[in-house]
Amino acid sequence: MAPFDFAALFGETGGYLVYLVIGFCFGFILESSGFGDSRILAAQFYFRRLNVLKVMFTAIVVAMLLIFWSTALGLLDYNEIWVKQTYLWPGIAGGIIMGVGFILGGYCPGTSLVSAATLKIDGMFFLAGFIAGAIGFGETVAHIEAFWHSGYLGVFTLPEFLGVETGVVVVLVVCLALAMFAFFEWLRRTVYGAGR
Amino acid sequence: MSREGRLQLAGAALLLLASVALALHGQPNPEQKWAYMAPQYRHLLDERLVYIDPAELLSLMNDDYIQLVVYDVRNERDWNLFHLVDSERMPLESLPGQRDRLLALPENAVVVLVSNDENLATQAWKHLMVIAKPNAYILEGGLNHWLDIYGVAPEDAGGQDQTATVLQDGTMRHPFAQALGDRHAAAQPDEHHFPARSYEKRVRLIKKIAKAGGCS
Repeated sequence: MAPFDFAALFGETGGYLVYLVIGFCFGFILESSGFGDSRILAAQFYFRRLNVLKVMFTAIVVAMLLIFWSTALGLLDYNEIWVKQTYLWPGIAGGIIMGVGFILGGYCPGTSLVSAATLKIDGMFFLAGFIAGAIGFGETVAHIEAFWHSGYLGVFTLPEFLGVETGVVVVLVVCLALAMFAFFEWLRRTVYGAGR
Repeated sequence: MSREGRLQLAGAALLLLASVALALHGQPNPEQKWAYMAPQYRHLLDERLVYIDPAELLSLMNDDYIQLVVYDVRNERDWNLFHLVDSERMPLESLPGQRDRLLALPENAVVVLVSNDENLATQAWKHLMVIAKPNAYILEGGLNHWLDIYGVAPEDAGGQDQTATVLQDGTMRHPFAQALGDRHAAAQPDEHHFPARSYEKRVRLIKKIAKAGGCS
């Protein structure tokens, strides 16, 4: 039953090879989707290009369906999947900071790595700034310890928040994604015309 | 409609269909989850690798290095009559609420499940495997067996435990004139006052693998 411990299955080297292959595929998809180009990424915020929305939400929806279908069929132990704990207030603050950083810099930390991998100068500078920021945060977080741990809700997921079955949430998220695709595509065509 | 448009529509329909089918199918309940997990964990029960002798539990109770968590899964009446010192009453229906705590237990933590005999504790062990897979064990013979050994005067203790695991009807077989809870002498016996028991050590500390994830 998944998730599998690749190091135990294939040995340490074999496990690392699996991670390498998965990382290669991930990077390949991100780069081919235009995630290494800050202009394409920033265009999302002006609804000119919808690559980020479409690729990310499709990935989320497909992963969600695979995870919960696998769990339903007994192929995956969902309890073994790491789900991030919710710290509400710092989560909101972090989301705002990241959003501002994304629109200003044209990258999020992950996409700056993709960009730096193709030796784009802006991506490399963004990555350097990201690393410096992470170090700065690590050195100063003790001063905001109380805020950093505020709004703790544990592992708090949508089924618990909405009080409905997981399957119903899956349907709602899929509908939300499809509605967003349709709406933003309509918006893009309305504002910028049919051409890409 | 363009080929791209048709593909988009087909993809959307596929996603919607898969999600609706999932909602209708539902997620597995704890019993179904155990059925899925059984091939991996059943042998621990069949080979009695997770059943620990009362003497091993007593040793754990006196081991300062071990963070011992004893869940007593019996009903309130039996709990009031007698329970082990520092044990926690945890009916089966309360176990899912322990998930976060169990996941946060350190590597030196050992969970022991006790009931009057082994059946209820074994059910609880399966529940724990489903929700958190802690380093959990079951008291062999339950508290009836424990009381056979530690519930009588030390000079009368020899040989009284031989039939303790035979009767498995889930009831407390030892009479109590009043509800003593953990004030009974057997709730925390002094191991030096009882004849040493030979047993095979079952408890092993497990190495926890740090889990993390996320995307930025």
